[in-house]
Amino acid sequence: MFKFLKQVGDYAKETVQAAKYIGQGLSVTFDHMQRRPVTVQYPYEKLIPSERYRGRIHFEFDKCIACEVCVRVCPINLPVVDWEFNKETKKKKLNHYSIDFGVCIFCGNCVEYCPTNCLSMTEEYELASFDRHELNYDNVALGRLPYKVTDDPMVTPLREFAYLPKGVDDPHDLPPESQRAGQRPEEIMEAMKAGASE
Amino acid sequence: MNSGIDLQGSFIQSLQQLGIPPEIAKIFWLPLPMVLMVIGAVVGVLVSVWLERKISAAAQQRIGPEFAGPLGVLQPVADGLKLVFKEDIVPAQADNWLFTLGPVLVVIPVILSFLIVPFGQNLLITDLNVGIFLWISLSSIAPIGLLMSGYASNNKYSLLGGLRAAAQSISYEIPLALAVLAVAMMSNSLSTIDIVQQQSGYGILGWNVWRQPVGFLIFWIAALAECERLPFDLPEAEEELVAGYQTEYAGMRFALFYVGSYINLVLSALIVAILYLGGWEFPIPLDSLAGWLGISETTPWLQVVTASLGIIMTVLKAYFLVFIAVLLRWTLPRVRIDQLLNLGWKFLLPVALVNLLLTAGLKLAFPIAFGG
Repeated sequence: MFKFLKQVGDYAKETVQAAKYIGQGLSVTFDHMQRRPVTVQYPYEKLIPSERYRGRIHFEFDKCIACEVCVRVCPINLPVVDWEFNKETKKKKLNHYSIDFGVCIFCGNCVEYCPTNCLSMTEEYELASFDRHELNYDNVALGRLPYKVTDDPMVTPLREFAYLPKGVDDPHDLPPESQRAGQRPEEIMEAMKAGASE
Repeated sequence: MNSGIDLQGSFIQSLQQLGIPPEIAKIFWLPLPMVLMVIGAVVGVLVSVWLERKISAAAQQRIGPEFAGPLGVLQPVADGLKLVFKEDIVPAQADNWLFTLGPVLVVIPVILSFLIVPFGQNLLITDLNVGIFLWISLSSIAPIGLLMSGYASNNKYSLLGGLRAAAQSISYEIPLALAVLAVAMMSNSLSTIDIVQQQSGYGILGWNVWRQPVGFLIFWIAALAECERLPFDLPEAEEELVAGYQTEYAGMRFALFYVGSYINLVLSALIVAILYLGGWEFPIPLDSLAGWLGISETTPWLQVVTASLGIIMTVLKAYFLVFIAVLLRWTLPRVRIDQLLNLGWKFLLPVALVNLLLTAGLKLAFPIAFGG
């Protein structure tokens, strides 16, 4: 008899606990309703990519020395470097260079290791195409510069959260000269110079 | 007791004054409340779809529909129009008749149930003396339609969804009916009007939630399960069953299911409001208030004010419950089929029985508070 009552009591306790947890969950969802929507109304609004954004890779044909370091550091040996040895100048001559962005994982190793800095990351991320073969960029396509979000008259550029002034969490309608929280790199440099000269 | 505004009586009377016999005047009256109720139900669906999308968006820190009309209020209309213009597809191997009949059988009982939803003393289509029982019996027709459409689609997902829907509706019908029975026992009537009347007089304190807190919870859980709302949306669980019994449906037939589920949600919320939240009653007892202020109950403007307040209160309470349902949707994960049946048979059913017994005991012990 007591065992049965204990069972009933335990069951009731569990039920109350479950109800309590559901109440906690409801309060969390309710709390979320008063928060600011994080929506970015793409394509009318776009976020400004951060400085170290790893987008489509840019390639400068004339700087390349065809050393193939990019191929060696690439996880899947992706860049295709087509060169021939010029016997007169005793130098490699680059004919073609291409990267297939349908396969690239944008790890940035090639950019990191390129000895002549002919590879660099851009902030371009809209690479969609109707045919995957169009994602195989040759040296001409790789040499194109992306269109900046801030220059596009169709688009309202929005700053990312870390680039908003202190205490502001809505990127819309910021005053034009507003700066992000903390010092900018050049300000830090100046402060360091001033500190060194003292 | 003053019965408030009697629209039917005054309508028939005014037609009689024009020289029309009372029988024909009554025939003129009959379609008016029905059409009004159907329009009301459809508008209620549009509002609840919009609310669902907006509240869901807010709970996920999104904006939700905002381009169709101000604040996106026309989005449900746009959705509906899209469904109307879509191609009507019947799968090649499906049973054409059952396939069409299924969604119809799901929607019609739900709309019929609006017969007994009162918005005021005389603001309902019929005051049946088996009112709430009619709703329970009508709501048990819907699973037949679901099973029918699941079976007729000739698709394993549809069949599984239909079977799940039938199992779920049948198991949750019982605690639902038991919870209603406890309320009916307290008000000595199955008529929705009497049930609300029994809660009136003391404002918010007289509502059945305070006397039937357990019944209220059981009823709400079972109603959510009947509406196949999350966390009980197993019959259409997208991740496992594509869309359950709706998988093969498109265009208008799908729209029937869609409308049916939302009307059902609004209806359940209305019924909860009637059974447990005092129906059209204002949180402060308006009749006594008028009495204290020395205003006669038969004053025309007071009657108009109380009648419109009654409609507003009923709708407000119902939409508050819809809001809770949407919030619950984004709070709780979906239960498994075994958990669902366990909850229904091993938890809700015994608790509902105990609740019924307790109510009976309390009714005998305290006949004043529990409707002797």
